Amino acid sequence: MKSLKQRNFTDTAARWVIKLGGAATVFVILALFVFIFLEVYPLLQSATVTKEDTYSVHGPVMSVGENDRQEVAYVLYNNGTVEFISLHSGATLKRYQVAIPTNSVITSVDKDRNRLVLGTSDGKIFTISITFSESFEGDRRTVIPEVSDECWTPLDNQKGGIHGVTSRGDDSTTVTAVYTTDNHVVLIASEIEKTLLGDGDKKEIQKDITGLFMKQSLNQPPLPILHPSQKENTDERAEGVPETVQAADNPSGILTEEKSATEITSLTLDLFMENLYAGTSSGELFHINVSDRENPFLVETVKVSESAVTALGFLLGDVSLVVGDASGGVHVWMQVRDTMSSSGWALKKVHTLASHGAPVVKIDASQRDKGFVTAATDGTIHLNHATSEQTLLKLTSAAQASTLSFSPKANGIMIADAKEHLLQWHITNPHPETTLKTLFGRVWYEGYEKPEYVWQSTGGTDDFEPKLSLTPLIFGTIKGTIYALIIAVPIGIFAALYTSQFLHNSLKIIKPVIEIMAALPSVILGFLAGLWLAPLMERIFPAIIIMPFFILLSIVLAIFCWKTLPVFGKGWYRHGIEAIFLIPFIVGAIYISIRLGGGYEALFLEGDYREWLSHFLGLQYDQRNALVVGIAMGFAVIPLIFTISEDAMSNVPNSLKSASLALGATPWQTAVRVVLPTASPGIFSAVMIGFGRAVGETMIVLMATGNTPIMDWNLFTGFRALSANIAVEIPEAPHGGTLYRVLFLASLLLFVTTFIVNTVAETVRQRMKLRYSKL
Amino acid sequence: MKKFLRSGNPYIWLTAGTLTACLLMISGLVVLIMINGFGIFWPHKIVQFTLQDGTVLLGEIAKREPIPHQKDAYRTKVKVGNRDVYGMDFRWIDDAEVVSQTYPVHALAFERREWGNLYGFLQGLRQGDGVKPLEKEAMASLLRESHALYKKIRNIEKKDIGNINYRMEKIRLELKHLTLLQLSEKTRKRAAALNARMAHLEKIYREKEDTLARFYEKAREKEVVVLLADGREKMVPVFQIIRTSMPNEMGAFAKVRFYVAKSWEFIWGEPREANTEGGVFPAIFGTVMMVLIMSIAVVPLGVLTAVYLKEYAGDSFISRLVRISVSNLAGVPSIVFGIFGLGFFIYFFGGGIDKLFFSESLPSPTYGTGGILWAALTLSLLTVPVVVVATEEGLSSVPKALREGSYALGATKIETLWKVVIPQATPGILTGTILAMARAAGEVAPLMITGVVKLAPSLPIDSHFPYIHLERKFMHLGFHIYDVGFQSPNVEAAIPMVYTTTLVLLFTVLTLNLTAIIVRNKLKKWYSTRAM
Repeated sequence: MKSLKQRNFTDTAARWVIKLGGAATVFVILALFVFIFLEVYPLLQSATVTKEDTYSVHGPVMSVGENDRQEVAYVLYNNGTVEFISLHSGATLKRYQVAIPTNSVITSVDKDRNRLVLGTSDGKIFTISITFSESFEGDRRTVIPEVSDECWTPLDNQKGGIHGVTSRGDDSTTVTAVYTTDNHVVLIASEIEKTLLGDGDKKEIQKDITGLFMKQSLNQPPLPILHPSQKENTDERAEGVPETVQAADNPSGILTEEKSATEITSLTLDLFMENLYAGTSSGELFHINVSDRENPFLVETVKVSESAVTALGFLLGDVSLVVGDASGGVHVWMQVRDTMSSSGWALKKVHTLASHGAPVVKIDASQRDKGFVTAATDGTIHLNHATSEQTLLKLTSAAQASTLSFSPKANGIMIADAKEHLLQWHITNPHPETTLKTLFGRVWYEGYEKPEYVWQSTGGTDDFEPKLSLTPLIFGTIKGTIYALIIAVPIGIFAALYTSQFLHNSLKIIKPVIEIMAALPSVILGFLAGLWLAPLMERIFPAIIIMPFFILLSIVLAIFCWKTLPVFGKGWYRHGIEAIFLIPFIVGAIYISIRLGGGYEALFLEGDYREWLSHFLGLQYDQRNALVVGIAMGFAVIPLIFTISEDAMSNVPNSLKSASLALGATPWQTAVRVVLPTASPGIFSAVMIGFGRAVGETMIVLMATGNTPIMDWNLFTGFRALSANIAVEIPEAPHGGTLYRVLFLASLLLFVTTFIVNTVAETVRQRMKLRYSKL
Repeated sequence: MKKFLRSGNPYIWLTAGTLTACLLMISGLVVLIMINGFGIFWPHKIVQFTLQDGTVLLGEIAKREPIPHQKDAYRTKVKVGNRDVYGMDFRWIDDAEVVSQTYPVHALAFERREWGNLYGFLQGLRQGDGVKPLEKEAMASLLRESHALYKKIRNIEKKDIGNINYRMEKIRLELKHLTLLQLSEKTRKRAAALNARMAHLEKIYREKEDTLARFYEKAREKEVVVLLADGREKMVPVFQIIRTSMPNEMGAFAKVRFYVAKSWEFIWGEPREANTEGGVFPAIFGTVMMVLIMSIAVVPLGVLTAVYLKEYAGDSFISRLVRISVSNLAGVPSIVFGIFGLGFFIYFFGGGIDKLFFSESLPSPTYGTGGILWAALTLSLLTVPVVVVATEEGLSSVPKALREGSYALGATKIETLWKVVIPQATPGILTGTILAMARAAGEVAPLMITGVVKLAPSLPIDSHFPYIHLERKFMHLGFHIYDVGFQSPNVEAAIPMVYTTTLVLLFTVLTLNLTAIIVRNKLKKWYSTRAM
C-alpha cells in the first residue's frame, strides 16, 4: 500500500503531465507557425558581408578577377603585367607579362568569360585567356592559375589610342568593337573557317562604323536613309542592299549628316555577337545590329539619360542592358516587342535601381542570376538585383574603383581602387530575387511586353529568370474556392434545413450517410473528377447546361403527382419523405437531359458547343476546368457545411418553433423566418469551415485542373492553386533555396488564412452555444 | 395554386431536392466505383473483328460509345493488347468498318510479365529447334514449372542477393566509420577482418550470380508459338507468361475461379509494369503500417488533451486557447502539415539524427529524407482533433455518480481518472482512434512530400535487424491512385487498376468509419449496463 504522501505526489505529478499534454496542441499550432515563419523570413533579408579583406597592389590596375572558390585572384596592371595573388596569404603566386609595346599602356579592358580583351594607348588589341585549373594530390587541392592564348591585332588606319573596347567570341568567331581617342568606332570581326582537315583559315574584317553615330536630329520626319558606311571602306560596301531596306530596318529614322559627332563614352556587345550598344556623352544609346559584319546598321537611338551615359553592361543572358549615367542613375533596359516600331522591337526602360551620388563607372554582372554590381566615382559600390529592383548591399571604398569584379559564384565582390588597394568582400546573398513586389506584384520580366503576374519557378537554361509571383496562385485558390462554395453552400444549407426541419424521423439515418461522405478521401474525388467527370463533361456538356432546367421541371412534376394522385399524401406517402420520393424524378431528369443534350447542341449551340462558347462568349473550354473542380470540391465541402449547419438548426429551441407555428405561420415560414436566423451563426461558421477546407484542398485541385497558372475567371479553364503548387514543386525544391522558401511562404499564407477563418468560426460557434443555453 | 405557393410547400420540395442531390451524388459515386472496380477481373470475351479493309483484330471490348456529331453511329474501343507488336494497347473501330464480329472458341489471352496482354491462338511449343504441338492441358504444367523457376529466381534476387548486399553495405559503412577514427592497431585489425569478410561475401555474390545466369538460361529455353489475328506468328517465352485463359469457352465456374485468382493476385501480389498491372500488396502494407505507427503517436496526445479539457481545465483562457488550437489543427490544410513535416521532421529532426548517429553514411541521408516514421508523425498531428473530440465525448458520457463514488472512497483525482473514468471512456477513445486511422488512410497530400514513393524497393519490415525500418520510404494506396492515374506513361491501360485500388481504399475507409460507429454504439451499451 502506497503512503498518502506518495499518492498525493502522484496526483500532483499527473496533474502537471496532463496540463502539459493538454497544452501540447497549443505548442503544435505555435510550432507550425513559428517554424514555417522562420523558413520564410530569410526571403526578405538583404545581403550581408561576411568578410572583408584588403591587399595592396602597386600601380594602376585595369582588371581583377578570382576563381570559383575565391582562393586566387588575378590583377592586370596597365603596363601589361598579370599578377596572381593568393587570397589566403596575400602572397604573389605567379607573374606574367603581356607583350605590349614598351611606350604604351593598357587603356581599356573587356572581360568575356575567361577571355580578356585589352586595348592599348597605341591602338593595338591584345587578347589573353586566364584560367584556373585544379590539381589533386591525394586530398589536397591546388589551384593553378594560367595565362594563355595571347594574341594581338593592330587597328588599320591608325587612329590613335583605344579608349574603350568590347568583345565577345565563341569557338570560331570573335567580334570586337573599339572606340578610339579620336572618336572613331571600329568593328573587328574574325572568323575561323574550319576546313575538313581541321585547320582553320582566319578571316578578319575591320570596319569603321563611326558614320552610324553621326548626330541625328530627332525632330525631322523620316527620310530615306543615307548609307551608314558612306565614308570609309567603300570597297567593302555591300551593293546588294538597297536603301529602302535599310530604311525599314532603321526605325528611329534619320541620320542627317551634321558635323558634330557625339562623343562615345561606352560600348558593349552581346554574346550573340549581334547587338552593339554605344552610350554617348549626351545621354543617348545607339543600338547597332552587327549580325552582318560587313554591313552593320543602326536599329534605333534612344535617349536614356539626361546626363552622359558612363557605363554599360549586360546581365546574365545578355538580354537586359544596365545603363549607368553621369548623375549616378542605374537603369535596366531591354528589347521589348513593340508594334509601333518598324523592327517590331524597341528598347525600353524596365527597371530602376537606387542611384549613386556620382557618375557610375563600372558594371559587372553575376554569372548566376540577374544580379549586378555597380561602382561610382565617389567610391560607392552597390550590389543590385534587376528583377526585384533592390539594392541589396551598399559598400564604400576609400577611393574610386578602377575596376570591379563580381565573383563567379556571386558570393564575392572585388575591386581595385585608385589608392592601390585590392579590396575583397565575401558576401552572402541567398535570396536576391524576392521582395514583396516580386512575390505579389507585377514585375517586368525579360521577354515580356509589360509588367505581369507570372509564376514560373524553373526554366531550361542557366540564365533563366525565376518568376515567383504568388498572385496567380492565390488567384487560382480563390477561383477554385469560390466555384466550390457556389455549388456547396446552397446545397449544404438547404439539405441541412430540410433534414433538420422536414425530414421524417424514420429517415434520420440519412444524416450519418452524408457524414460518411465527409470521410471520403479527397484523392478518390480528385481521381474521379479528373479521369471520369472531366472527360464525361466534355462529351455531354450541352446536357449539363440543360440539366438544372430539367431537374426543376422534374420537381414540379413530382409535386403535381403528389397532389393529384389519391394515394399520395397518405400512409407511407406522408410528408417528410419528399427527398426519397424525388429520387426517380431527378434520375429521370438527368437521363432525359443527357438524351436531349445532342439535340440541344445541334439546335441552339450550332452543333458544336466549343465553337459556340468561343464565338459568342469568347470563352475557351479546357477538359479539366474550374467547373469540374467546383463540383468535386463541392462534394468534399457539402458534408462539412451540411453537418455543422444541421447541428445548429436542429438545436434551435423547440419553444421558438412552436411559438411561430402557434401564431399561424406555415412550417416553411417558421423554417425561414425563425430557424434560419436563429441558427445563422452556426451556418456562418459552417460556411467558414467549408471555405477553409476548400482553400487548402490539394489533391482535388491537383488532379482535376490543368495546373496552369493563368488568371481568368472563365468557368471552363483550369487554374493552379497554392496548395497544388506546393505539392508539385516542393519535392524538386532544394532545401534552403529561394523556391523552397517561397513555397513555405505559400503554405504560410494558407495557414494564416485558415487559422483566421477557423478561429472566427470556432468563436462564433462557442458564442452561439452560449446563446442557445440561455434561450 | 396561389395558395399552394404561399404555403411554402414548393420551397420545401426544392430543399428536399438538394438533399436528394446529395444522396444521389454519394450513391452514384459508390456505385460508379463498385461497377468499375469489381468489373475488371471478370473475364471478358475475346472478340475477333474483320474490317472492311481486310484487317483482322482480336481483343477485348473496352468501351462502346456514340460517335460525336454523327447520328446513330457507334464506335468501339478494343483492347487489342500485343503492345510489343502493335505499339499500343487500344484501338477505336467505327461500326461502319466492321464486316464481321465472331467469338473464336480457341482464342487465348496470355497475361505476361512484360508488354501487357497478348491475344492469339496457341500453335505449339518450341524447345530447342523443333516445334511440336501443344495441348492446353500441357500448358498448365508448363506454367507451373516456369512459375516455380520464377519463384527461385526471385528468391535469389530478392532474398539472397539482397541479404548479401545488405551485409556488404554494413561492412562498407563500418569501414568508412573506421577511417574517421584514430588509426591504431585495433582498428587496423578490425579493418583487415572486415575486408576479409567483404571478400568472402563477394565470392558468394558471384556464385549466386552464376546460379541466376543459369536459371535465366533455362527460362529462355521454352517458347510458345502464338498465331496472332493478322496471321503472324509470335514467340512467347513460357517464362514470360503468368497465366493463360480462354474466356470464350469458360463456364460460369471457371469464370468465378479466374475472378477469384485475379482478385487474390491484386491484393497479395506485387505491382508490375510501372504499377499498371499485378497487385497492390506493398501499398496496402505501407498504408496499414503507417496508420498503425500514426495511431501509436496520436492516441496519447489526443487523450491527454481531451482529459485536460474535460477534467482539469474548466473554462479558463488556456482551455479556450487549447480548444481553438484543436479546431485549428482540424482546419489547417493537410498540405501545410506536409510542408511542416518536411521542414521540421525531415530536414531539422532527421538531419540532426543523421549527423549524430549516421554520420558514416552521409551525405546520403538515412533519416534526413522522407520515411514512414516522418509521414506517420506528420499525419498524427493532423488527426489529433479527431481523437480529442471523440475522447471528450466518451468522457462526458461517464456518469457523475461513478466519479463521486470513487472520490467518496478516498481516491485521488488521477486514481479516479485512471481506474474509473478512462476505462469507462474507452469506447470514445477507440472510436477516435479508428476515425483517425480512417482519416490518415485517405490522406495523400502530406504524404507526397514526407516519404511516399511510387515504387518502394523493400517493405518497411523485413528479416534484417532491427526488422522494422522506420526510415524507409513506403507505398500508399491513396498515392498509388494519384500516381497510376495521373503520372503513369500509359494512363488508358492503367485506369481499370486505379478503379480497383480506389475500391480498396474506399472499402478500407468506409469499413473503418462504420466500425467506429458500431464500436461507439455497442461498447457504450455494454459499459452502461456493466456500470449499473
